[in-house]
Amino acid sequence: MVESCYIHIPFCSHICSYCDFSKMYYHENWCKRYLIALEKEIDLYYQGEELSTIYIGGGTPSSLSLSELEQLFLILRKLKRKKDCEFTIECNVENITKEKLEFFLKEGVNRISIGVQSSHTKILKYLERPYTKEEIISVISLVKQVGFSNINVDLMYAIPIEREEDLEEDIIFFLNLDVPHISTYSLMIEDHTKLKNQNVKPISEETDFRMYHTIHQRLTSYGYKHYEISNFAKEGYASRHNLTYWRNQEYYGFGLGASGFVRNVRYENTKSFQEYERETYRKEEDTLSRQLDMENEIMLGLRTIEGISKEKFLKKYGCDLKGKYQIQDLLEKGYLKETNSSYYIPFSYWYLSNEIMLRFIGE
Amino acid sequence: MRQENIRNFSIIAHIDHGKSTLADRLLEETGALEKRELKEQTLDSMDIERERGITIKLNAVELFYQYQGNDYLLHLIDTPGHVDFSYEVSRSLAACEGALLVVDAAQGIEAQTLANLYLALEHDLTIIPVINKIDLPNADPERVKKELIDAIGFREDEFILTSAKTGQGIEELLQAIIERIPSPKGDEKEPLQALIFDSFFDSYRGVIISCRVVSGSISVGDTIRMMETKAEYVVTELGVTTPKEKKKQTLVAGDVGYIAASIKDIRDVQVGDTITLVKRPCKEPLPGYQPMKSMVFCGLFPIESSKFEDLREALDKLKLNDASLVFEPETSEALGFGFRTGFLGLLHMEIIEERIEREFGIEIIATSPSVVYEVELTDHTIVMVDSPSKLPDRANIFEIREPYIKTNIFTPSEYIGPIMELCQNKRGSYVGMEYLDQTRVNIHYQIPLSEIVYDFFDKLKSYTKGYASFDYELIGYQVSNLVKMDILLNGEVVDALSTIVHKDFAYNRGKAVVESLKELIPRQMFEVPIQASIGSKVIARTDIKALRKNVLAKCYGGDITRKRKLLEKQKEGKKRMKQIGSVEVPQEAFLAVLKMED
Repeated sequence: MVESCYIHIPFCSHICSYCDFSKMYYHENWCKRYLIALEKEIDLYYQGEELSTIYIGGGTPSSLSLSELEQLFLILRKLKRKKDCEFTIECNVENITKEKLEFFLKEGVNRISIGVQSSHTKILKYLERPYTKEEIISVISLVKQVGFSNINVDLMYAIPIEREEDLEEDIIFFLNLDVPHISTYSLMIEDHTKLKNQNVKPISEETDFRMYHTIHQRLTSYGYKHYEISNFAKEGYASRHNLTYWRNQEYYGFGLGASGFVRNVRYENTKSFQEYERETYRKEEDTLSRQLDMENEIMLGLRTIEGISKEKFLKKYGCDLKGKYQIQDLLEKGYLKETNSSYYIPFSYWYLSNEIMLRFIGE
Repeated sequence: MRQENIRNFSIIAHIDHGKSTLADRLLEETGALEKRELKEQTLDSMDIERERGITIKLNAVELFYQYQGNDYLLHLIDTPGHVDFSYEVSRSLAACEGALLVVDAAQGIEAQTLANLYLALEHDLTIIPVINKIDLPNADPERVKKELIDAIGFREDEFILTSAKTGQGIEELLQAIIERIPSPKGDEKEPLQALIFDSFFDSYRGVIISCRVVSGSISVGDTIRMMETKAEYVVTELGVTTPKEKKKQTLVAGDVGYIAASIKDIRDVQVGDTITLVKRPCKEPLPGYQPMKSMVFCGLFPIESSKFEDLREALDKLKLNDASLVFEPETSEALGFGFRTGFLGLLHMEIIEERIEREFGIEIIATSPSVVYEVELTDHTIVMVDSPSKLPDRANIFEIREPYIKTNIFTPSEYIGPIMELCQNKRGSYVGMEYLDQTRVNIHYQIPLSEIVYDFFDKLKSYTKGYASFDYELIGYQVSNLVKMDILLNGEVVDALSTIVHKDFAYNRGKAVVESLKELIPRQMFEVPIQASIGSKVIARTDIKALRKNVLAKCYGGDITRKRKLLEKQKEGKKRMKQIGSVEVPQEAFLAVLKMED
């Protein structure tokens, strides 16, 4: 049963140096055409399920004008929502307005995610994000003032020009923003990004590791729960939409370059605007074998503090994890922990989770 | 065909100087093959040969040519062009009366060519100097001519200029072969003496022998005896290669052909051995036979231990065609079950390794190659040691001797300095130097073979920008101050990484090996010390720092499939690693000793 939906808005008013998501410069005419194609895609695939979470991401959804947003939400009314539906939209500091926020609230949006990334002018400049520390502060208070309490901010670290003191200052700044959810990302220099093209080298593994631990220590001591490799939340504010992913549950993905998981098929949409407009939405579709689905369940579950539920696994796949996989060695070495109800990777080894997953899944 | 109308000859040439193309052109010109039947370079029959532009297996072809109203039969006996196979070259030269010395008009003569030329001269062959590739824009036949006149003493009027590519000079060459190379002189009425110069395995007919009948004659139904191996067989088929096989009832003195006799074991057929008839044997075998000797040994281990039997089968199959390949089971604590395998040389080793991976699809780890050491124990018994793990306890060793070679290094004179430095670093001692002409020299050093087995070729190439060529001959064993150096990973000796090194060089080599292993072994989940030791004394150490980060940082719904593929890729990478104790070691690490920097 599909209960979640992701909507991708690929437009941005400028392109950040590290971004490898599906994105394009905002253009009024293209935006108009895009929304028409998006509506057709939803009409084609959506089967009327009641949704528990909706997430509008990008790109920069807030780069759309108010009237375009009105048109987008008109389309989204087609999606049936449960009463307590978590409804998130991503916003950027430079194009949030009071009007847009009030409109979101009116349309039932109840969670705002803001790509803050850093409070340092030099770092923001390096990442090519066009705003200042002061603007961040005023935007957050605006969001709160309009009436949103469920707010996420993104924090980026391990940036080549960043010193460890810079990160310490950022953490204090983020704590002072006083929002209930913080996502943290170590900068990855991905292919086809400006940074990669400039041949930027990542910082050392050691520094990255120390930064990760600093973040963990500071945020957890201020009452945030480190509930997934890159996510921290105050009690009750974990992102339900993202938990859908990590619990290996199904979700729609609509829009350019979006991906979804519906009726046992994982698919990825085209990143070509022309193709998308011609209504050839899906680029890749993989029907999952039981084996692959099981491995996804493990890989995703091990990202979280809750781990893999023994009971759920048994119910879903009719087999016992310990019988199916060689995990005794991992348990003995402490890379994996076992409780009555679950298996999980202890925090101290999260940063090595690939190694552990590979050993878990084995041959 | 009467003997005076037969000519038997080989082609001596350096890699790339156009030997195979020239052979193709001769085939075409004599109508042995229609043009449409010619694959590029018909004589090189293995893929690896064609890819590397070298000939490994020998072939012989019979060609017909009409000259001044007479029919002539020409036997072209192909030779491998590499030092590893110089014994096989000498046997095929022994089957000929003449040889074409083919030299590239732009590059001049190279070391291997000269070495083979000397072999040919030892056999009193008539040499026809051929300057090939004269169509190249940078061809300088006059310079090459002068070089050959100075170095070898040819006369100006002996040279034939050809372009195998365009066909220019080919007819003139065929005429020179007939006019200059003597016809065979053996007596048909004498007892049979036939020289084996090659063999290959045919799954229907057994081992097929390529031979030159030196005297006497042989017919289908005769019982033959190999004089060295004493094996006896009844001849089931005789024939010649044109290059298609053409059956014959009889081969007589002067002929070059093949013999099939339902021979199942290739060990009965030794290159250089003499075939005679049981009913009327000859008194003496032909001179020059030597048993095949492996010069270089290494351990071959399947990456997946379940592939051990497959590897055995692959080696057995390769052995059917290659009597020089020897192997016996070997066990390594680190690598499990495999085979200690002996080769004629480094190229031979590389070719076999490549064929196992390519033709049989078995991924293997090859340990670093070792030469054969002569170890005299304190009780003065002598043991031959082809693997560091077989080296006796130090207390029981009186002395260790290692094989030495003498080099011929042909180089433009501006590289003399770097080459001398390289040879000194390889424990070489200077013997002498000859100028081939004003700009090129031949440098002689005595160097331990084990040093050549390391990175000598690569170094030589990079020191001389590829201009030097290299050849060597073995000159016997000399006493050396050698020790066994072990490598420890995480405190445990990895037997497959042990090497035998000279004591004075051990410290440097140990340091280089641990540094190179540090680069090759990926970070593990814990810190891993790498040590080099002699006995219990650690001579070098470095640490691989613990892995800190291997995580899919942001993993959203958007990219689960992609992230998964990333993980799949890491999984594939791990499969190619060998688990040693608790450390994962990639294949390349076992050759670390070869790749280090000095």
